[in-house]
Amino acid sequence: MANTDTVLIVGAGPGGMEAARTVAELGKKVLLVEAQAEIGGTPYASYATLTPDLQETEAAMGHIVRGIRHNPSIDLRVNTRVVKSEGDIGAFHVTLENPDATQTVVEVGAVVIATGFQHFDPGRETQMYGYYEYDDVITLVDAEAMFKQGKIIRPSTGQAPDSVAFIQCVGSRDRQIGNKYCSKVCCGIASKQSIEIKRMLPNAKVFIFYIDMRMYGFWEDQIYWKAQEEYKVNYVRGIVTEVIRRGGKLLIKGEDTTMGRPVEVLMDLVILSVGMEPSKGTVQMSKIFSVPREEHGFLQIVGGPLDTVSTPVPGIFVAGAAAGPKDIEDTVSMGGAAAAKAVGALNRLALEV
Amino acid sequence: MQKAKAIELEIAVVDGVELNGTWNRMFEPRVISEYDLSVLEEITNIPGAESLGYCYQCGKCTAVCPVDSVGDYSPRKIFRRTQLGISLLDSPDLWLCTTCRNCLRVCPKEVNMIDIMPAVREQAVLEGKAPAELLTAFENTARYGNPIGESARKRADWTKTAGVPVPVMSQKKAPVDVLWFVECYPAYHPRGKEASAALARILAALGVDFGILGTEEKCAGDSQRMAGERGLFEMLAEHNIKMLSKYRFNEIVVTDPHAYNPFLHEYPKLGGEWPVRHYTQFLAEKLAGVNFVKGIKKRITFHDPCYLGRHNGEYEAPRSLLRALPDVELVEMGHCRETSYCCGGGGGGMWLDGFTRDYASERLSERRVKEAVEYGAEILAVSCPYEVPRFEDAVKSTGHDGQIQVMDIVELMAYCMGLNEGLAIS
Repeated sequence: MANTDTVLIVGAGPGGMEAARTVAELGKKVLLVEAQAEIGGTPYASYATLTPDLQETEAAMGHIVRGIRHNPSIDLRVNTRVVKSEGDIGAFHVTLENPDATQTVVEVGAVVIATGFQHFDPGRETQMYGYYEYDDVITLVDAEAMFKQGKIIRPSTGQAPDSVAFIQCVGSRDRQIGNKYCSKVCCGIASKQSIEIKRMLPNAKVFIFYIDMRMYGFWEDQIYWKAQEEYKVNYVRGIVTEVIRRGGKLLIKGEDTTMGRPVEVLMDLVILSVGMEPSKGTVQMSKIFSVPREEHGFLQIVGGPLDTVSTPVPGIFVAGAAAGPKDIEDTVSMGGAAAAKAVGALNRLALEV
Repeated sequence: MQKAKAIELEIAVVDGVELNGTWNRMFEPRVISEYDLSVLEEITNIPGAESLGYCYQCGKCTAVCPVDSVGDYSPRKIFRRTQLGISLLDSPDLWLCTTCRNCLRVCPKEVNMIDIMPAVREQAVLEGKAPAELLTAFENTARYGNPIGESARKRADWTKTAGVPVPVMSQKKAPVDVLWFVECYPAYHPRGKEASAALARILAALGVDFGILGTEEKCAGDSQRMAGERGLFEMLAEHNIKMLSKYRFNEIVVTDPHAYNPFLHEYPKLGGEWPVRHYTQFLAEKLAGVNFVKGIKKRITFHDPCYLGRHNGEYEAPRSLLRALPDVELVEMGHCRETSYCCGGGGGGMWLDGFTRDYASERLSERRVKEAVEYGAEILAVSCPYEVPRFEDAVKSTGHDGQIQVMDIVELMAYCMGLNEGLAIS
């Protein structure tokens, strides 16, 4: 049982990094595998600031990323994919592959899958918001890319927008699309972004068209009230269904459901609040490690609300959005929990020997 | 029900003007003191209407509902009214839906008005609650085989004006390649007959081996089904299936998207299963062999029929025909393809214009004609027999006579093939 002191962690986003740190702190070895060249995951790669506290991502996560790189107990392999796994708890024989197709087989005792989510592709929505048709219809992710450059502009003109509309629940809560779940974070991210836009453009009119605002716990006053009270962001209950080009602007059509009246308003910029779907890596890991996916397509956990990280396969745990829509807080909490359970499993095996 | 409470100020002066007493009367909003949930239960218990109860009030349907754009109606509102205890069975709302399917396209919960409407309407028809003019259309259909009330014996009379032989199956006594199911408006309506004659000439010119049922054909019945008369629909379907089964042919070509739909989805359930195509699909495949001899130097826009486009996914065939016409400039309206507007004729709307007038600021066809004009179209091309009469009326009522013409695609195509000299393109 030579390798019962190594935990394989797949994916080096917030969940995988927290799992790696925790395993290392608990005295076990970590093999951290990341398919991308950079670690930090989707928030680090795509988000200028974090929700809900608006910390700059680099400032908030940079030291964690560097800590992972310099931790002697963590064997980090970037540009590396898991392509095969055989064996059981205590002795998983996992095949890793690098970009030039060189394969290595490693033996590990337990596995934490933290392969996360991907953003919903707005080309798949049925409402025809025109993401691939109109330059000034963008997603939350596109907006973050602009924030990283310290600006928010209309792509069609390069000018700052006078009016901005967020459309919530794009790709989420939709039976036709096949995503019957709330993506949890988009209400918060849209509110956070609306604050950032108002900081840059205090005179811009910013609207959030929503079905239900889902601002759990402290997000309520940290971002929702803050956006409305301090930054004068306008929340309108009722969703937009049509975007039509009118002159140089976008005419958004919807219903203001609390007033029961139709809305037809010109906007300079429309931001689609795209939700979460299981990432390709999450789908692949499900096959490779034989972890079933639950009915929404994410990795299945067995303990319901009381054990958020154990999968039906002994010795394999999951952290973060690979198991369903998660904010960063939940993802990091799961990373710690998955690490603790993985180390616990190895310790039990060691005692049995 | 509690009455609204009136509030009056004894002394009210606004800008120096005394508005004491009744002049400043305001009413408190009426309190909702009870949610009578039995009504929602009653409606969603009707087989087919279950999904009305799934609505989570996002309002996506409202913005794309053509009826709401001229009135106060949308699936979201229907759900709330039903939840408040207003029965859809007794409400005019029940008869305003044209089953255009735009709400279902955007609905995240799949609240399916295409199932809900015929189901609840069927119940209302049974309870004697259908509008009188709709009942007239039902009675005409039952008696004459067409909703217009024309003589069944005259169903093939239009063929005399075609200028080419139009074989009737009962006389031909031989198998054909194509059984052309003509339908009611193309057989009886003056403008429908012109389009039918044009199509007959095109088929003859292309050497298509075809035949029609003639007086053996009855209305396909799908709009009657959507309007709540499933029994009548089944009677018509059984008749048509029986007649079609007498003959040998390779496929059915229909003029009417409202016949295309049941031949695809409903007739097979009743034992009538044949390959079926809309005439635009049939002709689009034959384009390579078409000889165009003249062009139309006009800006043309196309209105997607709800039952060809959204209901059955065909957007390209009509456009490929229009694009093939020499000199034509095809322009798209803002509402096109999946987001197309509705002419107002579907789901029984064809026979409810008098009824809906009381609940709409204008006809859907008028809205659509205005949009076509806004996009600079000189010809509004259509491919559903409901649309020529509806849009031509709308051109007149909106004051655009002489500015835009309404033509079936076959009329334009026959014109460019030199087969429609009578067509006056102004």
